[in-house]
Amino acid sequence: MLATISRSKAAHWLGRQLLNREDPKAFFDPLTTAINPMWVQQYTPARVERITEETADTKTFVLKPARRWGGFQAGQHLNVRIDINGVRHTRTFSLSSSPALWENNGLITLTVKRLPGGLVTNWLHDELKSGDIIGLTEAFGDFLIPNGKKPVLFIAGGSGITPILSQLDTMAREQYPEPITLLYYVRTPNDVIGEQRLTALKNRYPAFSLHIITTHENATPRYLSDQDLDSVRNLANREIFLCGPKGLMDLATEKLGQRGLKDEQLHSTFFAPPTPVRLSSSNTGGEVTFSASNLSVDSTGDTNLLEIAEAAGLSPQHGCRMGICHQCTCRKTSGTVVNRLTGQVSGAGSESVQLCISVPQGPVALAL
Amino acid sequence: MNTLNEQQLNELQTDLDAIRDEVLADLGERDATHIRNMVRLHRKLEIGGRVLMPFGFIPPVFLAATASLGLAKILENMEIGHNVMHGQYDWMNDPSLNSQTYEWDTACSSESWRRTHNFEHHTYTNVIGKDRDYGYAVLRLSNDEPWRPRHTFQVLNYAALSVLFQWGVALHELEAEKLSNGKSHLKEKRPFLKLAAKKASRQAFKDYIFFPALTLPVAPIVLAGNAGANLIRNLWSSTVIFCGHFTQDAETFTEEEAEGESKGHWYLRQLTGSSNFTGGKWLHIMSGHLSFQIEHHVFPDLPAHRYPEISEKVQTVCRKHGIHYNTGSFAKQYGTVLKRILRYSLPERITRRPAVA
Repeated sequence: MLATISRSKAAHWLGRQLLNREDPKAFFDPLTTAINPMWVQQYTPARVERITEETADTKTFVLKPARRWGGFQAGQHLNVRIDINGVRHTRTFSLSSSPALWENNGLITLTVKRLPGGLVTNWLHDELKSGDIIGLTEAFGDFLIPNGKKPVLFIAGGSGITPILSQLDTMAREQYPEPITLLYYVRTPNDVIGEQRLTALKNRYPAFSLHIITTHENATPRYLSDQDLDSVRNLANREIFLCGPKGLMDLATEKLGQRGLKDEQLHSTFFAPPTPVRLSSSNTGGEVTFSASNLSVDSTGDTNLLEIAEAAGLSPQHGCRMGICHQCTCRKTSGTVVNRLTGQVSGAGSESVQLCISVPQGPVALAL
Repeated sequence: MNTLNEQQLNELQTDLDAIRDEVLADLGERDATHIRNMVRLHRKLEIGGRVLMPFGFIPPVFLAATASLGLAKILENMEIGHNVMHGQYDWMNDPSLNSQTYEWDTACSSESWRRTHNFEHHTYTNVIGKDRDYGYAVLRLSNDEPWRPRHTFQVLNYAALSVLFQWGVALHELEAEKLSNGKSHLKEKRPFLKLAAKKASRQAFKDYIFFPALTLPVAPIVLAGNAGANLIRNLWSSTVIFCGHFTQDAETFTEEEAEGESKGHWYLRQLTGSSNFTGGKWLHIMSGHLSFQIEHHVFPDLPAHRYPEISEKVQTVCRKHGIHYNTGSFAKQYGTVLKRILRYSLPERITRRPAVA
């Protein structure tokens, strides 16, 4: 009910007049959430119902989103919003449950692998408890089950199986008429995620062919090979879905291209863990994209973003040009920058930066 | 004015940078909790005040409602708005606490404030001719400005500015004194005036039209209460702000002195151009921690509730470098502000102090 009121234009106008903000919800949330955290309006909350361990480093979080959450299609992902030590962080995770679980029980699951050195995944594993509330966005993504009647090949690696679990559940439930094959690569047998679900599917749906390949069981690693692809019947006609570490995706794309599969047949979704950047002067500089101005320039050395923008012909708002007044703060949508006063390196995602003291380290995109 | 040589200034910079880095590394849950608590308190005070106001035909309720709304505005302007707009909480990644988008409950638009305050005032602090906050162009506060007969009655300017402080701040960027002496033209100021009018009319609509009209039979009472709340905020904030730079020992600087200055010299200017006052926890909170004006000027983008603990370290650094740390009780500091306003109402030859050895 609150959501419907807050969508009307009149409410927004009045909100601006009375509360000095575009979003009137930000005015009332501090009070309403003190009574019940699930009443928050600025984002969609979800309560953690249950947490189960899939493997040594993977957990499944069963969540109950607020009723107003828009649902999803199998294979999509969403952004999770949490506060760690006062700072709001956002990360993207695939939904590992099928849409039917949401429609029938109001529940969704996220299956999250603990990434070494990853701030959010480690916090989720170590700190998040049953009963806690996190924030969700609406689901998005176009890694979707084809509606044409073509056979499908899934190639998954490690935690890349998560959106595919959702898709397999859905396709089996809807009695997908064509053959489905899954090539699932894991390091060791202990790293198989959703083994019970996959085995159950295999037993109930004859059209589903499951192949779990362990890559690091022996001394020499055994990666995706030509034999693996040759064993797939009618490969050339299949819709291919890839989800896993970059190495696997690149290898698969290369081999499938060699077998004459067209780009339109390949569907990928990316799971890239953050790469730590080492600070050194040879690392500074990079391509800076100003997305709101449709401009892109290269920078070298330790020129800061404000100077780069000005050299590109833009005139961003600024003030003291020495990092004190924050007038030049704007949103970096992606890429890494170094703070030239402290030497600190930023994260790789979306965050606020002060242009005059930020030096790009590799490609950077700004909402300017 | 302290004269520190270049090496001493570099050491001053190192000492103060170290304090800043230490605090930056420690920012987290504690600071987030503080600002969220302040926001929650503000909501209660504003909603409480506005809900009670229509019942203000009962005198004690009128006083309570006006006080509640006045306190709400003070808290929102000083502890929340001013500090959020300085970027003190940008690290939280909360769009409702972002320095570039926050809009505060006063006639001055946030955009104009960020320009004149965050940039101009904090960069050119106490530099005569560049820091227009020094006297707000309506008060002569030092011998740098030649005396004119009109200054004799400047205490009336002070009273008017205090009573109408939110409007003075709203129009600060107009630079009215430059318009009247021909140094700038009205048409240059048109974009600013448009922005100022939009924000000011929105505030006037809220406090003087919408809420009174909402409970029409008691409209005059609500109008009076809202005006009273704005007055309370105006008087309190102008008093606190004047104590920040106009106390007796607060130093001023010439443009030449500040030209091409090093970071160490910038720090020194911030330290000696600002003054603190002492008091209890709630006095500090209601002043938006501007009671720690020195710490605020040295570290404008650190969360203000940290200034009390930072102040001990800053005092140690000041002692080490022989820099005077300007503080005193609220009453004493404000007394010196009033004295300054009165003293410079008169020409220098009348008020010249005997030379101090």
